[in-house]
Amino acid sequence: MTTSPLPSPPRGAAVLDTHAARQAPPITDAAALASLKKLTQYYIVTAFLALFVGVMIGPLQALNYGGINVYDLPIIRNLLKSYYQGLSLHGVLNALVFTQFFISGWMLYLPVRDLGARINLKFAWFTYLLMTAGLLMAAVPLLLNHATLLYTFYPPMEGDALFYIGAAIMVGSSLLVVGQVVLTWWNWKKANPGRVTPLVTYMSVATWMMWFVASLGIVIEVVGVLIPWSLGLTPGVDPLLSKTLFWWTGHAIVYFWVLPAYISWYAFIPRHAGGRTVSEPLTRLAFLLFLLNSTPVGLHHQYSDPNISVLWKTLHMFLTFLIAIPSLLTAFSVTASLEDAARARGGRGLFGWVTRLPWGNAIFSAQVLAMISFILGGAGGIVNASSTFAPVVHNTAWIPGHFHITVGTATTLTFMGVALWLIPHLTGKRLPSMKLASAAVWTWFLGMMVFALGMHWQGLYGVTRRAQISATAQDIYRDMPIALPTALTAISGVILLVSAVLYFYVLFRMLLSKRVDDGEVAAPIPYSEAISPAGENLGAASRLVRATEPLLAYWVLALALVLLMYGPVLGRMIANLQLVPGWRLY
Amino acid sequence: MTRPQPPSQPGDAVPRLEHHTLKRYESIWFGIAVVISLFLFVSVIVSFISGTYSAIGGGGGHHITGVTNGRLDPRNIAATPFAKPGLRENADGTLEAFVVAKAFAFDPPVLRVPAGRPVTIHVTSLDVMHGYEVEGTNINASVIPGQVASFTTTFGRPGSHGTICNEYCGTGHHNMLGRVVVEAPTPQAARPAGE
Repeated sequence: MTTSPLPSPPRGAAVLDTHAARQAPPITDAAALASLKKLTQYYIVTAFLALFVGVMIGPLQALNYGGINVYDLPIIRNLLKSYYQGLSLHGVLNALVFTQFFISGWMLYLPVRDLGARINLKFAWFTYLLMTAGLLMAAVPLLLNHATLLYTFYPPMEGDALFYIGAAIMVGSSLLVVGQVVLTWWNWKKANPGRVTPLVTYMSVATWMMWFVASLGIVIEVVGVLIPWSLGLTPGVDPLLSKTLFWWTGHAIVYFWVLPAYISWYAFIPRHAGGRTVSEPLTRLAFLLFLLNSTPVGLHHQYSDPNISVLWKTLHMFLTFLIAIPSLLTAFSVTASLEDAARARGGRGLFGWVTRLPWGNAIFSAQVLAMISFILGGAGGIVNASSTFAPVVHNTAWIPGHFHITVGTATTLTFMGVALWLIPHLTGKRLPSMKLASAAVWTWFLGMMVFALGMHWQGLYGVTRRAQISATAQDIYRDMPIALPTALTAISGVILLVSAVLYFYVLFRMLLSKRVDDGEVAAPIPYSEAISPAGENLGAASRLVRATEPLLAYWVLALALVLLMYGPVLGRMIANLQLVPGWRLY
Repeated sequence: MTRPQPPSQPGDAVPRLEHHTLKRYESIWFGIAVVISLFLFVSVIVSFISGTYSAIGGGGGHHITGVTNGRLDPRNIAATPFAKPGLRENADGTLEAFVVAKAFAFDPPVLRVPAGRPVTIHVTSLDVMHGYEVEGTNINASVIPGQVASFTTTFGRPGSHGTICNEYCGTGHHNMLGRVVVEAPTPQAARPAGE
């Protein structure tokens, strides 16, 4: 659509251009690089093992929302004590374990390579082992049906202490990664005064800083309240206080899930498509806004809760709407970089360029389908965030419909696409079949769209989320006009099962194959050129670049903003503490 | 496989995007994004003012015996009106309904209210978290043990609505269902509490 007065340099000459794509600085210590790569691979593979188990339970739940109860089948009965145990495993493994392990590997590896830094690998391996130990501890009560609490684990429904302790260790380990990455970046800053932080590092550090601020709520809840309570050290819990601490983390965690995908969308997707990142300064602004504004928005999950003033709920709603802005900026930038790529490949017309994108490349298509899904999910999210719409959809099937096209597709499908280059890069192994990988990612997208349509639709009629509605004794759901949406939901479960089988076949075949390439050469980190780079020297950089550089100061500001927006709310709850006893009703 | 295919170069005839034009579009888009966000916020505030939405706020039910700052002890509801759940008409003619949620039922299982009159509904839980969603309306409250959720609503037309527990509460969660029956107004619309 735009006409440049300047002829663009031919693609082959790009390396000589000042806007040339970045190359990861060489790491001369081969043993250190091998160990770092192995560690990253461990994180990624652990993540996908969790996803595999979690995803395999998913179709049972889709069938439930299709009105088909399979939980009484002997084969299922032997594995899962109830629908609710299956749902707890599905939620914890997919939303908490898969994401956190993938992100810890991905956002440790990227900044370390981006800066060419030497890190303490012993400490990094220790963090991985601790995180895994936490996971295994929490897994025991989950598998024994001693922690069938769903992934929100609201008290006073009570689980074994081991579940809370394991969860605390697992989540706490991610804070060790925060420390290691921030320290690595800080050491680089000290060694390179006056330099602009490279974009991939900037995005990673800002996201980790945001996660630190965000995680404090759940850390305080689990360590300060739930562990002592489940050990019998306190007489009870205040469920409203716990729920509020949970959502301090619980909304921001969705940005912790999606920002690592944004890193790939901004920095790597343009390269996969043959285009350029649009603007590094604007990208930094988007991440800075996420650092500041992701966390003090959690009360929009609690519009229906009593004893929180409407004023505070409304302030959080206002900030929630503001956080739409950096996502809208991202939609602009990423689409522009795709258009740039398509035009470089000879694409023409207002929309006709879309056909020139490399849709047959699963690495690319997975992530772009993830973006399309996120546009729809973001629009639905604005409905959820509005306090007047929220009571119509709160805790209905609409909500799982929503988060399966956000975290379940925007994040998960992006990570599935990223793994297709990242594993060859880390291991020197080859993707066994691009065709099968493509089939897997397209069917995932299709399945999730059908699932989301069915679930959003049912939700509008009032079908509740998280309930074994296929086994309901009363006829309330049978009286609703939901035959079509329930059928869609059931069908989506089958499509997604096919997709998952295809994807994990490709993934495991790749992992179990022999090393054939040097990953550094055959599958380098796909850095993109930038149309508007941030520059290298702060002195010569634009005002926006200089203003976004002091991340430490913004980190403090982000923390202050959260304390300001949560302090009075929590203060009133603590002043009116109402402890109640625990229950096990599962 | 992971490297980009070389882009086709049909005589370099297709112009690429460039910095200055993009920057202008960026600024316009940024402005649009800000306006959208503010518009959404103002829209919600307008529906607050127009009263289409009954917000659940803080310190509900402060006038109720045994309830302080919207809190009560779920082990000791005998001293509160929740001991006799249902609709009651106060001396000043206002209507209040008390609903108790416990695994896995609502009490009263069928709440009868008159059409066209404001009713303040108070809900609490005796055990774990529950939800109080009235199908076909925008009534949707979290029911938390130790806390009272209070809101005022007016059912416009006579009819029947399912009441659904929409917060996971254990193995019987999916059978925790009830009903609100909205009756045509009669001279003695209010019924004694604890029907």
